[in-house]
Amino acid sequence: MTDVAIPVEHAPAEHHEAGHASSLGLSNTKLAFWLFLGSECLLFGALISTYLLSVGNFVGQVVAGNPRVVSTMPAEIMNEIAEKGTVNGFFDIPFTSASSFILLMSSLTMVLAHKAVTESNYRASKIWLSATALLGATFISGQVYEFTVFYREGLYYDGNLFGSAFYTLTGFHGAHVTIGILMLVALLIMAFKGKLQADRAETVEIIGLYWHFVDVVWVLIFTVVYLIP
Amino acid sequence: MAIIDKPLALPAGEPRRAARPLGVFTRPKEQSGISAWLTTVDHKKIGIMYGSAALFFLLIGGVAALAIRVQLATPNNTFLSGDAYNRMYTMHGTVMVFLVVMPIGAAFANFLMPLQVGARDVAFPRINAFSFWVFFFGGLMLNTSWFLGGGADGGWFNYAPNNGVAFSPSHGIDFWNAGLLIAGIGSLTGSINLITTVLNMRAPGMTLMKMPVFTWMTLVTQFLLLFAIPVITVAQLLLTFDRRFGANFFNVQQGADPLLWQHLFWVFGHPEVYLMILPAFGIVSEIIPTFARKPIFGYPFMVFSGIAIGFMGWGVWAHHMFVSGLGPLSVTAFSVATMFIAVPTGVKILNWMATLWGGKLILNTPMLFSIGLITQFTVGGLSGVSHAIAPSDTQQTDTYYIVAHFHYVLFGGAFFGFVGGVYHWFPKAFGYKLNDTFGKVQFWMMVVGFNLTFGPMHILGLQGMPRRMQTYDDAMGFNFWNLVATIGAFILGVGVMLLLANVAYSYSKWKSAGRPNPGPDPWDARTIEWSIPSPAPSHNFDTDPVVTSLDDFWHRKYQEDENGVVRRVHTGEEIAQPGNGEGVHLPAPSYWPIVLAFGIPIIGYGIIFNLWLCIPGALVVIGALFGWALEPADDLDAPGHDHGHDGPGHDGSGDHAEPELETV
Amino acid sequence: MTDDAHGTRQWAWRAEDDPARVRKAMPTPRPSRQTISLKRAGAAALGLLLLAGCAEDKPLNTFEPRGDRADGIYNLMTPIWYIMGLIFVAVIGGTIVLAIKNRVNGDELDPEDLPHQTHGNTRLEVGWTILPGVLLAAISIPVVANIWRLEEKNEPGQLDVMVIGQQWTWSYRYDVDGDGFFADANADGKVDEADEKFPLDTALDPDDVVTQNEIVMPVGQQVDLTITSRDVIHSFWIPRLNGKRDAVPGKFSTWSLQANEPGKYTGWCTEFCGLSHARMRMDAMVLTEADFNTWLENQQRPAEAPDEATDPDAFAGRQLFINQCVSCHVIREEPGPDAIPYAPDFQANLKAGYAPDLTHFATRSVFAGGIYSQYEGRGTDANDDALNAADYVKLSELSKDPQGRDDYRWNTAELKRWIANAPAQKDMAPDDLRGMLPFPALTDQQLDQLSAYLATLD
Repeated sequence: MTDVAIPVEHAPAEHHEAGHASSLGLSNTKLAFWLFLGSECLLFGALISTYLLSVGNFVGQVVAGNPRVVSTMPAEIMNEIAEKGTVNGFFDIPFTSASSFILLMSSLTMVLAHKAVTESNYRASKIWLSATALLGATFISGQVYEFTVFYREGLYYDGNLFGSAFYTLTGFHGAHVTIGILMLVALLIMAFKGKLQADRAETVEIIGLYWHFVDVVWVLIFTVVYLIP
Repeated sequence: MAIIDKPLALPAGEPRRAARPLGVFTRPKEQSGISAWLTTVDHKKIGIMYGSAALFFLLIGGVAALAIRVQLATPNNTFLSGDAYNRMYTMHGTVMVFLVVMPIGAAFANFLMPLQVGARDVAFPRINAFSFWVFFFGGLMLNTSWFLGGGADGGWFNYAPNNGVAFSPSHGIDFWNAGLLIAGIGSLTGSINLITTVLNMRAPGMTLMKMPVFTWMTLVTQFLLLFAIPVITVAQLLLTFDRRFGANFFNVQQGADPLLWQHLFWVFGHPEVYLMILPAFGIVSEIIPTFARKPIFGYPFMVFSGIAIGFMGWGVWAHHMFVSGLGPLSVTAFSVATMFIAVPTGVKILNWMATLWGGKLILNTPMLFSIGLITQFTVGGLSGVSHAIAPSDTQQTDTYYIVAHFHYVLFGGAFFGFVGGVYHWFPKAFGYKLNDTFGKVQFWMMVVGFNLTFGPMHILGLQGMPRRMQTYDDAMGFNFWNLVATIGAFILGVGVMLLLANVAYSYSKWKSAGRPNPGPDPWDARTIEWSIPSPAPSHNFDTDPVVTSLDDFWHRKYQEDENGVVRRVHTGEEIAQPGNGEGVHLPAPSYWPIVLAFGIPIIGYGIIFNLWLCIPGALVVIGALFGWALEPADDLDAPGHDHGHDGPGHDGSGDHAEPELETV
Repeated sequence: MTDDAHGTRQWAWRAEDDPARVRKAMPTPRPSRQTISLKRAGAAALGLLLLAGCAEDKPLNTFEPRGDRADGIYNLMTPIWYIMGLIFVAVIGGTIVLAIKNRVNGDELDPEDLPHQTHGNTRLEVGWTILPGVLLAAISIPVVANIWRLEEKNEPGQLDVMVIGQQWTWSYRYDVDGDGFFADANADGKVDEADEKFPLDTALDPDDVVTQNEIVMPVGQQVDLTITSRDVIHSFWIPRLNGKRDAVPGKFSTWSLQANEPGKYTGWCTEFCGLSHARMRMDAMVLTEADFNTWLENQQRPAEAPDEATDPDAFAGRQLFINQCVSCHVIREEPGPDAIPYAPDFQANLKAGYAPDLTHFATRSVFAGGIYSQYEGRGTDANDDALNAADYVKLSELSKDPQGRDDYRWNTAELKRWIANAPAQKDMAPDDLRGMLPFPALTDQQLDQLSAYLATLD
């Protein structure tokens, strides 16, 4: 502890090796980030519960033939929902599976990016960070495309419960991915300025944590929204 | 690590300059005056600001409360119209819960907890400042609704579908959503910050089971906030989408289930209740041992009962919904679970009584308020059991019996504890004691006023007076007790205001007496915040306190002699730190927390009135984030800062702050 | 309470209310309530339960159960109140005694003079963790039994009533034919499986009856309720008969009522429901079985149009009604609303069929969400339960009896004031489709005619 004047708010990791027995051995930033992700779990938990309840009610109304609900989307879509008792037929599962795969792959590149930064391999870190951001952006483009298609097919945000719940849940996730991409871009700018050295590995690790969290949430959303009837 | 091993001397020589002293990106230097408060990142100043803001909102909520009581003083009163009454009681509840009791808890947590764990500051001082400002601006924004179309009119619980545009077309509920969402950002970032501080920044030797009870209760409280805030955030966002963008989450015509709102609200709302009362439990658990002059009885039980309350608080939310038709199975489960919450709270009360048992009690103002909490909370706890019993709740819920219950818990419990805490720690914050006689007068006035106001509400409720009633019929037999309650409310109002009067009175006395210093340890207290001068210096501790036991400061003053008799070996003054830790480096103030917090309500107004307004708001937010990220981590004159300003380690903390904001 | 001359439920909402009527609402001379209550205050401070139980003029008192469900809750709670009273005395008394007994003077305190430094006593603490747990576990057994008892339903074929809340009044559909349906969803006069789904959108099952504000029920019998709402959440509560149950739109909750004696039992909406939440009342009118059957038969009788020759006022009133009022109000068998069945828009009180059904209006004892008496006079004293219940089925006849007019007088004045400008009597928002519109264009004569017509709906 030669440096006694460390600003409290970003104590770098190396100082914790000499840390007190009373601390957890995690840096403040990383601990805070884990707490934040814990909070995010509840956020997505509430959103996913809302989706399940809302779409369950929606399907119930369509099956029962509530005219106010049935009139909110084209008849052929509603007939299919009423027949199958689920909205899954509305989705393009192969397309979303592909974009899900792309998002999952980005977790891999994120791991590689973190490894590269830890090893001070600047070239590799730039490549893997760009790859992660690009894969994320591809996923978002896929989501935008999907939203456009659904909108054209008649699924409106203010149309019915299904539209509101679907766009809100996936939109929230998309916003999280977008923020992740922005953070990756910020890292890339630092990398190109030569500022992303091994002592920033923790920052990369934390952004990686966020990225993996968002991926895991997507796996959950994909399962709940697209796969389970 | 913010913990510093030894006092530091200012290094000699020229102050160093950063490589790129970009004017706006330097950090503010003000040490005093209004701009020092606006840019401060000092947890003690932020704590005091939380308290002051809460007092300001208390005035608003209190005026609303008195208006309600005037309206209900006599049957068929026309002082407030139905609409005005609905807005008044909604805003009373909302302001008191979100802008008074919660921030007073935050005030104590901010001011006290870092001192109790021996830390220099909280883990993220700028985020701490941001938490305060965003709470404050969110609260102000909520209250601007009084002038911009009337306050919210759906009740603080704001049940769907009555909260929809069809039934509440004015902007009140939009303000309710936006203001509380914004204040919620502050609670969330604050909770992350404080938990990190407790877990990571304790003084050497302070293991978890050597933490003061207040710090423990703060930790539990902040965990409750951490997990409760996102749930209400989701509920309020869904409602905002419904109201502003035509979503259908609570649109029954489209098959939506209005109980979704109730579930989301109470999954948040019940932990919310505990996170309002637990800080007060912590406060009295510090005060009672100090003035009973013996340790808290059963420290581990006090800690674990607090944790148990925190955990059980998540499994009982549906007891607010016993009459909404959940089905007997759910009602049974939640009814029984709720009854058992009485166990850990009962443990706390019995342990406080056992601490009083055999003690030598100095019945000064903080102690009186603590005893007030024990007795009045007991009343609230007992009435709580009576509506944990679901069949009984079908008669009691939504009557004045419930109003009596939660005021006994939150006012007679939490608020009394808070006032006691203010009296107790006032010298540590401001360097002078509040007048004790004045304080006792205030206590008795508050006790009389409080019990006159809310005691009769038990009777009214059991006699069938429903809540949220603008008025009542002469033939209902509610007249007498309502009049009593109104009289009590005014006594109580005066009692609460006496706190401010006492601050002014004690200040002028203190000033005319030549500003005597109360000394570091005016109460012969137990925990380490009393081992530093009063008022606490900005750097808190000159040297890292090393903690060896619970109530460490006490055990340095009092030790057993060879006969096993506890003797005083030092006075507090003798062993207290002198407060002269020169050259201790502190986090520098910053402009950006307040700027960032200011941008967010602009977006809120944009969502309510005109989406274009979101653009300037977003620009302020983005600009502030850049400023935050790019400002040097320190004031550039900081001593002993060898880390290198142009090194990569210093401009990226904005990256870390960003994710916290994205729940906006 | 209002043991005065007319005994209507006086709601002096507005200053423009007739001052004479307000004066009449004053209690007749007797020891002032405040004096009585002040005498009670001392006792009450000691035991609020005691006082809650001994008040005789509190129509919503939960401590005066008059039906088996309310009895059950009351009996469940009685021993628990005593246990809680004991704990109350022990903890609060104990704390105060400890505080007084152990106090020392802080100024003269010798810092060396410390009390015994107890840190705790694990055995004791485990004891007072387990003991309350055991006590609560014991209490929870009858509690759980009572929860399930409250949900018990009748055998099929008994009287079923659908209770519908809307801003700010209650209506009741009686499944008279016992087919299990409260509605005719297709308005095709045939009630079958297809009608089950959305009963609120639809016309009444033609064989059933509907009434407003007062649920009328036979004494002694359990009446099953299906509670729902048209708009926001309300809560149905007759404290002396049973606890409350929310009326949640889109949900159909079951609940039941049973009363031991005939009489009128007052209730109040207990879930906040907007502007006039404080003026959303309901009553249970419990009749003897014979009276109930008479009432039910009368309700099934089609409305008769007044004769122009014998009752020209009523005849003119009917024309007015058909021209204006039917756009919102239904009178079954009368022209108008039946042709436009219930509108498919649940958020609109201002569409045909959504405003209160006025069929057999004159047989009810209250109107406007239960805040005004339809008849005034001694016989309608809101608090004289037995009298009111016994005369309930004869209300409209009694009012027409020239001999009985002092007892039962058609409340023309308040009815006219209500029709002319309802939002001035009760906070409503007709501009937002919530509540009744004002009709400033109606002349006094027209209001008289409408009142006369409504009086014929017996």
